[in-house]
Amino acid sequence: MRSISLILKQFSRSVVLVAGFAICGFSAYAQGDAVKGEALFKSKCTTCHKLDQRLIGPALGPQLESETDDKWLTKWIQNNQALISAKDQKALKIYNEYNQSAMTVFGDLSDGDVSNIISYVRTEYKKEKTAAPAAGAAQAKAAESGPSDLVIFGLIGVIVLAFIVILVLNKVIATLERLLLKRQGLEPLLEEEPKEEGAPVDRFALVKKLAKNKKFIFFVVLCGILASVSWTWMTLWNTNVHTGYQPVQPIKFPHDLHAGTMQINCQYCHSGAYKSKNASIPSLNICMNCHKVVKTESPEIHKIYDALGYDPATQKYDSTKSRPMQWIRIHNLPDFAYFNHSQHVKVAGLKCQQCHGPVETMKEVYQYSPLTMKWCIQCHKRTEVNMKGNAYYEKMEQVHDILRKGGKVTEAMMGGIECGKCHY
Amino acid sequence: MLAMNKIKILGITVITIAATVVITSCKDKRSTGWEYAPNMYEHIAYDPDQPNPNFKDGKTAQKPPVGTIPVGFTTFDYPNTKDGYELAGTEVKSPLPQTQQNFADGEILFQHFCSPCHGMTGQGDGLVVAHGFPAPPSYSKGQSSRGGAMKDLSDGKIYHTVTYGVNAMGSYASQLAPEERWKVIMYVHHLQTL
Repeated sequence: MRSISLILKQFSRSVVLVAGFAICGFSAYAQGDAVKGEALFKSKCTTCHKLDQRLIGPALGPQLESETDDKWLTKWIQNNQALISAKDQKALKIYNEYNQSAMTVFGDLSDGDVSNIISYVRTEYKKEKTAAPAAGAAQAKAAESGPSDLVIFGLIGVIVLAFIVILVLNKVIATLERLLLKRQGLEPLLEEEPKEEGAPVDRFALVKKLAKNKKFIFFVVLCGILASVSWTWMTLWNTNVHTGYQPVQPIKFPHDLHAGTMQINCQYCHSGAYKSKNASIPSLNICMNCHKVVKTESPEIHKIYDALGYDPATQKYDSTKSRPMQWIRIHNLPDFAYFNHSQHVKVAGLKCQQCHGPVETMKEVYQYSPLTMKWCIQCHKRTEVNMKGNAYYEKMEQVHDILRKGGKVTEAMMGGIECGKCHY
Repeated sequence: MLAMNKIKILGITVITIAATVVITSCKDKRSTGWEYAPNMYEHIAYDPDQPNPNFKDGKTAQKPPVGTIPVGFTTFDYPNTKDGYELAGTEVKSPLPQTQQNFADGEILFQHFCSPCHGMTGQGDGLVVAHGFPAPPSYSKGQSSRGGAMKDLSDGKIYHTVTYGVNAMGSYASQLAPEERWKVIMYVHHLQTL
């Protein structure tokens, strides 16, 4: 009997163990492996989806929370096109809601992969949701700890005030004591005064002597006048020169981040510099190339949205609400000077920084060069022209060759009928 | 000079100091500083980026009238839809000859306009992506969201995408002229083979 019970016990244990493993395994399959899902999510989904925000496609966190039919989700993720062409109602609704932009067909994802991704999204979104109130609470705590800082500063202030009061009182006491001594008898004062006066007399003797010297005084005054006149002269000489001008722009666009850290080429936004007179201030659609997706919460970016009449929640533009962004011009040439960007950037091959300075390090752009005639001419005198491999100068050389051979040259041959020669 | 009396010297000193203070003290980086006769600095002719009271919308840069095209401009009559994309993919071919110059121009344009996201080698690893922009698929290894491998994308399909944008990518029609787009595509075809 004992042996039977032992066998039974062992048997029942193994059964429980196996059952336990089976349940674990089953539940693991049903839930999917969130860790594996994370890697897949980051490589396949983040191009178009965020957990908590609408990007190209829906915000996956809330979407997967409301959509619990995993079988349908798997079908959608693996081949959304098939569902749409089969006129599945749910699929069509999403397709139309997101401007009929087709989702990539992920035929390479197995059922297991998809369930891994789904479980990652759900667990991660839950974590974020619970983390968000915690962060809020932490902020509140920080706010609560704010007054303690105030108290500390207040205490420091009180201590400083106390010191000042003590010092003042000390002085008052000292003067009162002196007055008392004066009344009682003049002896202590008389003793002290000669000692104190003796030193200053020696110290200022030279100064007093010089002060009586008229020639010296005149010399000093003349030097002072010359210095201030030359300072005034220099300032007046810079009339109409705006070097260092750094106005406050309507949007705090940091060039150091975009052109410095991200190394976006100047031409990306100022695309006119290579092909026209104007370097052109980028229109807001160029900002939206990136900021439709990134930094969507920033108040500065919302200025772009407001100017465009763009609603980030629906990703739609309302052209009736749009207005131009009024940037403040920094580099301004007078009308009597013609300057063409493309001639300098494309033909001469100058770097933008040569005139505009290290813009890629400027948080706020300022005028780097004086843009005076002297400055232009200096560069034109010093810069050697590179004629090789330059279509602009090749044309000029051709004209010269024709002239040398005694041929006729017309204005049109030198580009005289290009529209921009007159209508600029 | 030395015969000048004290009052005259004092007067000159005071005047100079006062003038210096008045003229040099107002140095503010937010203002353009001293201006004398700024008439031609305040342009009479309107610059494209200036406000303009002559137009209803207050802008100098006006859109061309509907239905007009600039001289020498080639139109791209494929709508911004999946069908337009597929149709452009089969019908549109690059009009540019395969020359070294076009390829070199394309490389520079690609580096200036595309590499911030797509990376220097088209792998979708540009610096903007490193700072949080969603990564585009690799030209050589990725899958297109509109079906097929990225490396198989034809002239017309890429042109359609550059012109209209897709997913997180915006339209580059305002930054790249049609010819420049074709130069970029020439270089993209090279990156597809990497």
